[in-house]
Amino acid sequence: MDELALKELLYKMADDLLILGHRNSEWTGFGPLLEEDIAFSSMAQDKIGQSYALYSILHTLGEREPDTVAFTRNGNQFHNSIFVELPNGEYDFSLIRHFLYDTAEAFRYEMLSASSYQPLAELSRKIRAELRYHTLHANTWMKQLGSATEESIGRLQKSLDYAIPFALGMFEASPYEKELITTGVFGGEQVLQERWMKKVEEIISQTSLHVPDWKLIQPVFGGREGKHSEFLQPLLDEMSEVFRIDPSAEW
Amino acid sequence: MKSLDPRVNRLPVIGQPGQILPKAPLDQFGTFEVFVQPKEGKPFQHEGIVHAPNLEMAFVLAKEAFTRRFTCVSLYVTDTRNVYVSPMTDGTVNAYEFVNEIPTQSGDKTSYEIYHLLKRGKQHQHVGTVQAVTPQEAMSEARKIFKNDKVVYNIWAIRTSDIRFTNPEEKELWLTLPEKKFRDASDYKGGDKLKEFLEKAK
Repeated sequence: MDELALKELLYKMADDLLILGHRNSEWTGFGPLLEEDIAFSSMAQDKIGQSYALYSILHTLGEREPDTVAFTRNGNQFHNSIFVELPNGEYDFSLIRHFLYDTAEAFRYEMLSASSYQPLAELSRKIRAELRYHTLHANTWMKQLGSATEESIGRLQKSLDYAIPFALGMFEASPYEKELITTGVFGGEQVLQERWMKKVEEIISQTSLHVPDWKLIQPVFGGREGKHSEFLQPLLDEMSEVFRIDPSAEW
Repeated sequence: MKSLDPRVNRLPVIGQPGQILPKAPLDQFGTFEVFVQPKEGKPFQHEGIVHAPNLEMAFVLAKEAFTRRFTCVSLYVTDTRNVYVSPMTDGTVNAYEFVNEIPTQSGDKTSYEIYHLLKRGKQHQHVGTVQAVTPQEAMSEARKIFKNDKVVYNIWAIRTSDIRFTNPEEKELWLTLPEKKFRDASDYKGGDKLKEFLEKAK
């Protein structure tokens, strides 16, 4: 199997998790209520833990240490989708992104549980419980706020409309799609996107929200090949601040 | 951006001279009681409360608030207003002495879960289920079945149908691996690191 194809897959998954984990952790101490602050922070920690697991697999394939990879690359060396680097904005957007991203992530790992690449199959079994909670949390909030008040429905709909083109950017095809599929490593972005769209529609249909017409949406691509928005670099600067001051610091 | 954090919003607003107003109620969600089963075969015990807009959200929030770090196989939640509480004793008398035995009531019986507090400062633990028409009858039934020589400080009764239980397929929520050390505060060895740093700084 071509290692380049595998590494590309691992990097984009890990970078999505690291960047979104960091973004979501920005809510720590500012959540809308203490209990939600705890839950959202915990899930952010889960995401960073999952990115660490993926960087560790990459390390076994000859890439540098997880900390080095996480803290010393420039923005254009990151393969995360632009979706996950967008600023948090208000809580409605963070919840919508949590819902759209985690739905995709749960399906991605479900597909990877049958991967011919054993470390990925094992990882997907290992984090199954976490993903189960993340989707339960996201779906419950969607159903709660998506049918609650005029304000909550309006806010979520606005955030959903804004987020969907970026969310579709998560499924930007890799140059190695065919190879990943034929070698049984991963079933491919297209299959993932179809499952994701179906699930998003299913959950949204249980609320007063509506899914925009998919055909009219232009996905925001670029992140997978290192083309990012102006929001990524400030995040990286902040995230790597301690590492740059003292690379040997442990915390 | 105006903070969404209720703690921030509760900061006093600077008022106008001469203004006298009634105190506004806190803008907060209601509370739900959280019960956790630490291991298969062990009784459920009361762990604390969460604020939530409804029972389903309470379940979701309780999971991370109470069962992230310690072992858990199942949890359930109920609205605080659904918990019926016996008089509390000082430990010299059994709380069941304050529960009146009442004759069997007519009507449809439903099941109630019964909990005992066996020590001050500890948690209420589930002891069993009784069938009754009212919470009062449930306590009276509990007295017949669960009262023994052991002093009970306090008794709770909750109608079983008022509880949001963990579904069998949700049990995998707790299949997180014990090797996840980063969840364990002690694993960060914060004290050791601080000591080392202070030594270096001398």
